[in-house]
Amino acid sequence: MKRIWVVIFNFCLLIFPSLVWGAAGEKVPDFAARKVSLEGLGGLNYFFAHWYNDSKMVFAIIVTLIMGLVGVAIAAVTDVILKAVGMEVTKMEHHE
Amino acid sequence: MFDFLNVYLPIAQLEFNAAILVAIGFAVGVLGGFFGVGGAWIVTPALNIFGFPMAFAIGTDLAHIFGKSIVATAKHRKMGNVDMKLGLISIAGSVVGVEGGAQVVMWLTTLGLAGPVVRYSYMVLLFGLGFYMLYDYFTKDKRAAAQAAKSASAAASGAAPRKAWNLPPMMHFPASGITISFWTVTGVFFFTGFLSGFLGVGGGFIRMPALIYIIGCPTAIAVGTDLFSVLFSGAYGCWTYGVKGVVDITAAFYMLIGAAIGAQIGVTAVKYVRGYGIRLLFAIMIILAGISVLLKQFEVPVFDKIVVMAGALGMCAIIIVKLIQGFKKEKAEKAAGFPGLH
Repeated sequence: MKRIWVVIFNFCLLIFPSLVWGAAGEKVPDFAARKVSLEGLGGLNYFFAHWYNDSKMVFAIIVTLIMGLVGVAIAAVTDVILKAVGMEVTKMEHHE
Repeated sequence: MFDFLNVYLPIAQLEFNAAILVAIGFAVGVLGGFFGVGGAWIVTPALNIFGFPMAFAIGTDLAHIFGKSIVATAKHRKMGNVDMKLGLISIAGSVVGVEGGAQVVMWLTTLGLAGPVVRYSYMVLLFGLGFYMLYDYFTKDKRAAAQAAKSASAAASGAAPRKAWNLPPMMHFPASGITISFWTVTGVFFFTGFLSGFLGVGGGFIRMPALIYIIGCPTAIAVGTDLFSVLFSGAYGCWTYGVKGVVDITAAFYMLIGAAIGAQIGVTAVKYVRGYGIRLLFAIMIILAGISVLLKQFEVPVFDKIVVMAGALGMCAIIIVKLIQGFKKEKAEKAAGFPGLH
């Protein structure tokens, strides 16, 4: 339980550099007010474009959640596949 | 000819070849899983070469890096390569450092010096790190022999081994097997964060060597722990760039598919390559990145991107070959009844 609060606290710390993160790198355009055309879109494309137009905050949450969940799902599936072909990994010894 | 592989990207509002996205993701996944880095410095030129709108490159890349690093970190954790305590401290220390680095850049910008100073600092860092790691690799046997002689001499004289720096409070990291001063740990991560903020980069390629050479982590644990840190920065980057409206989720999804497969390969390959082997390949990789930055600085068109792409693909090929060789050897040893030692 304590560990999860430490994780959340550290995650929140990442918010502070938001004002200056990447200040020295390539400039990223701020398309906060940009809207995309919904014409001809269907299914998931329409869903993403709709939220992109409606609320960038919700769009950002959806993107982050989906990327996280898809990452977890792919990790689980590939683990099963690799186990089936005999390439499962276990704790390794560290040799420099 | 390959138009049937095109998919419509609803946010970038154009059609793009899905196979290219999967392939770029795959290459970055292999490298990320093997070296413990995010790989944004490969993705951006790769996307640029294939005509992906640059406005969406960074945000889309960070979105896929978040998903990929979940896959890679989960696998490294299974292998015992993630020191979560160290990873969480690295995040906390880096946060403050990033702010410091970015403030210095802002000050340099007011003086009109930010561009050249940052670019040359980046080159010095890449070449300096790369050549130091090459030197480390080629002198490892000599230094190991000298260290052994020193330890034997100390043991013979009955003297206790001299600790380099043990300013309390000391922190113990059982996963890495190290006990180190709190001030060293936070100082190192403040410095790596400072460089990240100063250069405007993710910092994985700075943190990984810092974990090895300054903190003293075994190489494989440095790789896994660094990926754990990249997971958090990737998640934050995905969200913040999503709010800015510069993430194309469809493109990120296809890149993630490739990256997740590549990461499985890269992470598994760590099992079959010794720590110094990983360091050697990492050194070559960042020297090539330095050459790319040098070509960009001297405005040699296209070649800067070609160097990065060729380097990335070549390194992927080497990692995959190492994986296949190691897997075959392990299988043969198991069949012969001998446990594998890698």
